Amino acid sequence: MTEIVQVVIFGFLLGGVYALFASGLTLAFGVMRIVNLAHAVFIVAAAYAVFFAFENFGIDPLVSIVFIMPVAFVLGVGIYVLFFGRIEGSPRYVEMTVLLTFGIAIMIEGLLGWRFTGIFRQAKPAYLTDAFFVGDFLFPTGQVYAALLSFVLLIGLWAFLRYTRTGYGIRATMQNRSAAQLVGVNVRRVSAISFGISAALAGASGAMMSYLFPFFPFRHWQWIALLLALVVLGGMGSLKGAVIGALVLGVASSLVVDQIGAAWGPMAFYGALFAILLVRPRGLFGKEVAA
Amino acid sequence: MIEDRAAADGSEPDVIDVIAAPKGPSRSRWVVVAILLLVLLLLPLGRPILGPYNYIILLITNALMWTALSSSWNILGGYAGYISLGHAVFFGLGGYVAAVPLYYSGVSPFLTAVVGGLAAMALGFVTGLITLRTRGPAFIISTIALLFVFLLVFENSEYLGGTAGLPLPVVPLPQDWLKAPFFYAMLLAAVGSIALSYKVAHSKFGLGLRAIAEDETKAEVAGVPTRFYKILAFALSAFWVGFAGAMWGYSLSFVRPTLFFTVAISAQMVLMAIIGGRGTVAGPVVGAVLIVAVNEFSISQFGSSEINIVIAGVLLVTVLLFFPLGIVGTLRKKGWLPAFLDWD
Repeated sequence: MTEIVQVVIFGFLLGGVYALFASGLTLAFGVMRIVNLAHAVFIVAAAYAVFFAFENFGIDPLVSIVFIMPVAFVLGVGIYVLFFGRIEGSPRYVEMTVLLTFGIAIMIEGLLGWRFTGIFRQAKPAYLTDAFFVGDFLFPTGQVYAALLSFVLLIGLWAFLRYTRTGYGIRATMQNRSAAQLVGVNVRRVSAISFGISAALAGASGAMMSYLFPFFPFRHWQWIALLLALVVLGGMGSLKGAVIGALVLGVASSLVVDQIGAAWGPMAFYGALFAILLVRPRGLFGKEVAA
Repeated sequence: MIEDRAAADGSEPDVIDVIAAPKGPSRSRWVVVAILLLVLLLLPLGRPILGPYNYIILLITNALMWTALSSSWNILGGYAGYISLGHAVFFGLGGYVAAVPLYYSGVSPFLTAVVGGLAAMALGFVTGLITLRTRGPAFIISTIALLFVFLLVFENSEYLGGTAGLPLPVVPLPQDWLKAPFFYAMLLAAVGSIALSYKVAHSKFGLGLRAIAEDETKAEVAGVPTRFYKILAFALSAFWVGFAGAMWGYSLSFVRPTLFFTVAISAQMVLMAIIGGRGTVAGPVVGAVLIVAVNEFSISQFGSSEINIVIAGVLLVTVLLFFPLGIVGTLRKKGWLPAFLDWD
């Protein structure tokens, strides 16, 4: 019994981080109907930045969030204006965003591979190998920090959406784009800002990835597959769904790893994806999505 | 002239156009095809006279294989408008279906390649049953997930050699003729998949697929059996991919999960079909030849495959933003399409 509880604790800690990883992805879909296949490569790129900041200047990965998030925000807004501003309102828009972000992902992946080669990297701050006990249960310090910080950021995101003027605009756009436009929301500006926030969340995710999960450029495909699976499970575009999906799958995959073997952890994600497609294609908390 | 049904220009399908389209191709383009085919058929035989030119044979084999892959992808991704980013699954499955009997009992892949294709088709049918319940993004995502499921299973199966894969014996032929059988096999795959694509494009089934791409709900109301058509398209688009995978593994003399079940393979198919022109018969062929040439050039210039990936990404984004119809589609719209590329 204690062993299972321990595994569930590990799963929750992981799930908290997955929730942050997926939050930007689901935000981009919720607000702009962008299925961002490049989201994970954004995270990996940020992980490289954080990794080198740590290696060369000794900046702690978690502290570097302060720098990486604003930079990622600006880059995100830039990418939105450069690529997505042009295709707004084009027919089969969602499919277009998939292909476009596919191209962007390949581009960034190639640049990372060319610049940093394919070797595994992992930042090794002191707390990476630390752990503490609460009662009988082990808590790895690095993962606890990451999970806590993820929740702080997610609560910050929620508060921003809930209580600021821009947040109102974003939520209105999520609910009904054309109605939001009618009541005077500057949808283009809201979209650009949302994509910037989505990228900033990817930046923060990269800081966690840099020490929690060894990475190399090509890895992002595996990540995007996992993240998309959990976003579909939660319901595309639903932040609540993404967080719940992440926690559920964090625990589920930890149990799979514990019971079956380390290699099979991702299977929990894909199994959940295919199961939800069979039972309820729109996901747990999703709205019906037109193609 | 028939407008490109899968075009992203939002034009309504015009039934009058289809009915009034000139029946049958003009003769000149068949002459071009016949000459091209004849040259390709004779090419490996010229060896005793012309001396060794393995490099050219290899390059053309490569182009033929990618032609088969992107033409096949186009049946689902172009005509029906269902983007699959997981088509590498069929490639890998074909590769392993041929590799396992060769490795364990010495059965030649030249016999089992067709089985590889049929296995891929069966897999296409089954995954179609599950994934085609959804449209748009969820479908695309499930195709990526499918790819990773296969990667995971194949990497963790001892029987299939795990992450290291299976080493395969070399073709029992004299050194000079090693490349020829693969050349002909890929030629068969290319011709087969183009013929299939052409057949589909000019059938009621193909018209149904284009209607699905345009507006699935309307197509359904109009009496197109959308679900059956989509699943059939998925299965058909898998066959030659599986066949080519079987041949490719043998020609490399090994199979390995990370080499077959990879997004990179899917990415190339998508890229070629889109650059050439989705939903056209000639588009994927043009795209395949062009991208193989670009890859060859950039590897000889920069010597690194990472630059290749960047170029692929830049090309894809540029074409999507500025020429969403691809080369063939854009040329047709402007009325500059040469007759030998006009097969729709």
